[in-house]
Amino acid sequence: MPLHAASLKKALLLFFVAIYTMLTGGPFLWVAAMSLRTTPQILRNPYGLPRHPHWENFVGAWTQSSYSTYFWNSAIVVVTAVLVVMVIGAMAANGLARYRFRGNNAVRLTILAGLLAPPQMLILSIFQIMIGSGLYNSLTGVIIVYVAIQLPLTVYLLEAFFARIPQDLFDAARMDGYGNFTIFWRITLPIGLPAVFATATLNFVMLWNEFLYAIVLLTNNSKRTLPLGILHFMGSRELNLGMIATGLMIAILPIIILYGCCSETMIKGMTAGAVK
Amino acid sequence: MACLNLENVTKIYEHGRPAVKNVSLSVADGELLVLLGPSGCGKSSVLRMIAGLETVTSGTISIDGRPVNNTPAKDRDIAMVFQSYALYPHMSVYDNLAFGLRRRGLPKSEIDERVTKAASQLGLAGSLTRKPYALSGGERQRVALGRAIVREPKIYLFDEPLSNLDAALRSSTRNELLRQHEALPTTTVYVTHDQVEAMTMGDRICIMHQGEVVQVGRPFEVYRNPVNTFAARFLGDPPMNLLRGTLELESDGTFVRLSGVSLRLAGHVAQQLVAYAGKDVIAGIRPEDLYEASTSLPEGRTAGLPARVVVVERLGAESILTLSVDGSSDPLIARVGRDTACKSHDRMMVMLDCAAVHLFDPATKEAILWEEKPRLEEADVRAPL
Repeated sequence: MPLHAASLKKALLLFFVAIYTMLTGGPFLWVAAMSLRTTPQILRNPYGLPRHPHWENFVGAWTQSSYSTYFWNSAIVVVTAVLVVMVIGAMAANGLARYRFRGNNAVRLTILAGLLAPPQMLILSIFQIMIGSGLYNSLTGVIIVYVAIQLPLTVYLLEAFFARIPQDLFDAARMDGYGNFTIFWRITLPIGLPAVFATATLNFVMLWNEFLYAIVLLTNNSKRTLPLGILHFMGSRELNLGMIATGLMIAILPIIILYGCCSETMIKGMTAGAVK
Repeated sequence: MACLNLENVTKIYEHGRPAVKNVSLSVADGELLVLLGPSGCGKSSVLRMIAGLETVTSGTISIDGRPVNNTPAKDRDIAMVFQSYALYPHMSVYDNLAFGLRRRGLPKSEIDERVTKAASQLGLAGSLTRKPYALSGGERQRVALGRAIVREPKIYLFDEPLSNLDAALRSSTRNELLRQHEALPTTTVYVTHDQVEAMTMGDRICIMHQGEVVQVGRPFEVYRNPVNTFAARFLGDPPMNLLRGTLELESDGTFVRLSGVSLRLAGHVAQQLVAYAGKDVIAGIRPEDLYEASTSLPEGRTAGLPARVVVVERLGAESILTLSVDGSSDPLIARVGRDTACKSHDRMMVMLDCAAVHLFDPATKEAILWEEKPRLEEADVRAPL
């Protein structure tokens, strides 16, 4: 009964996908529902649906608390760090993937070793460096740290992709008269765009949610990023669940928008037709 | 227009044995030289060194007498067509064609003119806005060709450009390339492992094997006068038959004894053959120099070998017979007419043209009676065959 076996397999697969979706999407929907309710409503019935959505929660969170400051701090830190890490990371990945030079492997291994070091191990030394260089409690300091911690992953992902771009394309560009930097800019980057977008999105999500370095390096309220702001909300006033949920939604929205915009580019394979 | 010269060029890759050994070649202005050889023989490495995509380990490559070993690829004014086509996937056909011209800072109007001209020449006028993935294999190949043509370079390099096309398209593109070359003769080096391409396209052929040049010459000359058993077998399909025999010098002529049959070699006894008297030799016979019993060759020029038919391949225009010669373990392949009545297991007397027998030394595999033809003068290179 191959047909029966196939439908059973499909049903099982659907079952697990449904469970997974509930586990990941459920909490998100719960927070979304809470963000449109008031704290007393939530305390009365934590799992209730917003019968009369309180959209004003968002306005309140934005204007009456420091969420706007946290949001802009996060935006400045994360966008700058992602831009810088992508530029440096893409160039490094291109160099490692494309050129054979003495010490190529040593450089690669050193960069990738960064993936192995747990943040808790590095935090003390980074804290000292930031104090020593006067970058403690500054967004610039956090940007530099974020670039450093995301660089190994960026190089790792992009190198694997760049190495798959056929060598003939680079040779053809050289024959067409272009130098290394122009080839990187006009050939490698456009062809590697799906990987660049995917890596940028991943970096963005990881840094947008980054908590450990932020809490150690930023103590001034005006410098806090969103994850710290939400924590601050929990500690400094009574537990305002509605406000926290609204803050979480404000924090999550940019990531959802980013994914919505880039997912298609990420999936689209642009190398189709490159060779043969 | 340019002359290309390679002098003792050697390429050794990192941690490897030499891929190219002491290759010396010259390509005259407007000449089309075909580098022919099996995979891994070093022909692509030679091409890439000419292009400037690989460094030269030792030796000199010069264009118009000027050494270019240290000139970067982008400054050599050479265009190359890759086996994989290497079209930029994110660019339209127009941009693919114009990419090299933009680098040279040509005015937009000239770029437009050259691209449009090349596109219409190659039948791509309607595809200029399309991306490579939306093109058929043949169209991609033409874009790759167009990208070289628009540049109007000094030298063209082709790296097996037709090997990804189907048989019909390959044949028409081959003719198109030949037509283009005849219309505007530009110095060209064409790498292939396909001997039909080599025979039909090359002003001269250079056969390579294990990184070394085996033989250079006009196609027919190399075909008819191979320098060793490798060249003999590599050029020709089916390849030349090689049979072991013994050379006998008699008072009435020179004979090769093959499995009980003596073949009288035509012409005078060459001095070189004296040393081989009574010794083993390899006799090479092209399949088309073997005949079924009836042949119009003059009396005395043919000899018959008793054989059994193993396989008959009827190709339509001709038939290929695989034969087992009595007393010999080497199979013999004959190209005969399409109307042959032979069937498997038939016994027959296969006739061979004694004047067409080549002799090779069994130890060195070199041709025994081969004489180097006088070096071709530049003007001679393009003379009709």
